[in-house]
Amino acid sequence: MIKAREVFKTYPNGVQALKGVDLDVAQGEVVVIIGPSGSGKSTMLRTLNLLENVTQGEIEIDGNSLTHPKTNINKLREDVGMVFQSFNLFPHKTVLGNITLAPLKVKKMKEAEAVKIAESLLAKVGLADKRDSYPSQLSGGQQQRVAIARALAMHPKVMLFDEPTSALDPEMIGEVLDVIKTLAREGMTMVVVTHEMGFAREVADRVVFMDEGLKIEENTPEEIYNNPQNERLKKFLSQIL
Amino acid sequence: MTRSGKNLIWNIAFYMLIAAALVGLYAATLKIDYKWRWNRIPQFIIYSAEETVKAPFDGRAAVEKGRISIIPDGGGDPFVVEKPQTSRLGDGDTVLKGHIVAVNKSWKAGPLLIGLATTLQISFFSIIFAVIIGVFAGLARISSNPMFKKLSILYVELIRGTPLLVQIFIFYFFIGTVLSLDRFTAGVAALAVFTGAYVAEIVRAGIQSVHKGQMEAARSLGMSYTKAMIYVVLPQAVKRTLPPMAGQFISLIKDSSLVSVISITDLTKAGREVSATTFSPFETWFTVALLYLVLTSGLSVLVQKLEKKMASSD
Repeated sequence: MIKAREVFKTYPNGVQALKGVDLDVAQGEVVVIIGPSGSGKSTMLRTLNLLENVTQGEIEIDGNSLTHPKTNINKLREDVGMVFQSFNLFPHKTVLGNITLAPLKVKKMKEAEAVKIAESLLAKVGLADKRDSYPSQLSGGQQQRVAIARALAMHPKVMLFDEPTSALDPEMIGEVLDVIKTLAREGMTMVVVTHEMGFAREVADRVVFMDEGLKIEENTPEEIYNNPQNERLKKFLSQIL
Repeated sequence: MTRSGKNLIWNIAFYMLIAAALVGLYAATLKIDYKWRWNRIPQFIIYSAEETVKAPFDGRAAVEKGRISIIPDGGGDPFVVEKPQTSRLGDGDTVLKGHIVAVNKSWKAGPLLIGLATTLQISFFSIIFAVIIGVFAGLARISSNPMFKKLSILYVELIRGTPLLVQIFIFYFFIGTVLSLDRFTAGVAALAVFTGAYVAEIVRAGIQSVHKGQMEAARSLGMSYTKAMIYVVLPQAVKRTLPPMAGQFISLIKDSSLVSVISITDLTKAGREVSATTFSPFETWFTVALLYLVLTSGLSVLVQKLEKKMASSD
C-alpha cells in the first residue's frame, strides 16, 4: 500500500531530517514508528501525504506515485487520512461541520449523504450526542476522536497518526487508543507515530525504530521490545520503559 | 475604605472633571466675548420648506377632499393639486393666473444633513472597495509567487509612506484627468486605495495568526490551497481581524473629511459653508463633530454586534 524509497529531507536551514529512509506498509498492516524526539519519525510520516516535501526519493501510495511532479496531490491526499498531535479541528465549525466539510467541498457529496456518514462515524467514535457542539466545548480526547472521524469521512485507504495521544491528559489516552484499535481490527492500513509502548505491542504488526533521520531497526513488536539488537534502540527503550 | 467606596470617589471625580471642562469652555467663550447662537444651527440640518403652487391659467376652482382642480375657462385639461396642505380657495371660486392655489410645507434636509449623507456614501463605497483591494493585496503578500508578493509590498509601502492628502490630489488631478473620473469617483478611489493598504496588512496578520495546523488539516483532507483558504483559514482570520478592521473603517470615515479639498460637498465642506453663512463657527464645528461621532459610534456598535455573533464558537 505504501512504498517509500530512499527518502531524503533537508530543510532550507540545512538540517537533515531524513537521510534515506525506506518504508513498506502492506494492505491492512499497522506500522508503529518509534524513536527519540528529533529522530525524523514525524517528518517521515508527514512526507507520506506530502505535507512535507521530500528533497529526494520516491513514495508510492496504492501504486500512485506521490513524488512524481505531475501527480494531482489533492486527489491523492483524499486517500490518506491524517490525525495530528494537536487535533487541528476547525474551531469555527461544529463537530458535524468539521466532519462534513471535506466530503461536501472536495467530493461534492450531497448534504444529506455527508451528514449520514458523519453521524455513523460519530456513533463509531462514541460521540453521537456531540454533533452540534463546537470543538472548544469538547475535551482533548473527544476532540481527537472527532479528528479521527473527520479523516475517516473521506474514506481513506491509509490513515496516518502523528503522536495522536501526546497532547492528551493521561485519563483520555485510552478512549483515543480504543478507537484506533477498532480501526486496526477492521483492517485499516495505518502508520502510527507514538510513544505509547503498550499500544504498539498490542496493535502493531511491525515496529520501526528511527534515530537521526535513519531507520535503525524494524521488526515485530515482540522482537523489538524483548530482543532489541541495536545499541541506540536498547538505550531508547531503557529510557522510556 | 472599601473598594466600592473608592470607586465611587473616583467616579465622582470623573464627572467633576467633565463639568469643570464644560465650565472652562463656557468661561473661555465669555472671555473672548463670543455669543452662542445655537438657534441658527438646526435649520442647516433640517428645515421646513414652503412650496407655493400657483394657478397656471384663469379658471374656476373645484375643491374636493384631498384635491383641488382648476378648470380652465376656455376648456381643456384641468390643473390638479393633490393633497394640498393649506388653501384659501373654496369650491367654485374664480381663480386668475398666478393666484396661489395652495401652500405645501415639507421637511427638507439642510446642507449639514446632505453633507452627512455624502460622507456616508463616500465612506460606504470606499470601505467596500478597500476590503476587496485589501484582501487581494493581503493574500498576495503571503503568496509564494515573488511577483505578487513584491507588488503587494510595493503597494503597501508606497501608500503608507505618502500622505493621504497628497494621494487625493494625485488621484484627482492626475489619474482623474487621465481616466476622466468625476470628483466623487476620484475621492472614493483615493480613500479605497489608501485604506486598502492598511486592510492588506490587517488581513495578512489575520491569516498568519491562524495556526498552520489548520491549513495542514484542510490540505490533508484533500482540499486545494484555495478551498482551504476560503473554508478554513479566512473565516477564522476574519473573526480575528474584526476589531482592527473596525478601527480602520472608523479612520476612513474621519479621513473622508479630506476629500472636501477636491470640492466634494461632504460633511466637512458643508460645515465650512454653514460656518461662513452663520458666522457661528463654534456651534457649526461642534455640530459637525457630533455628526461624525454619530457615524463612527454607529459603526462601532455594528461591529461589536457582529463580533458577538461570530463568537458563538468560542
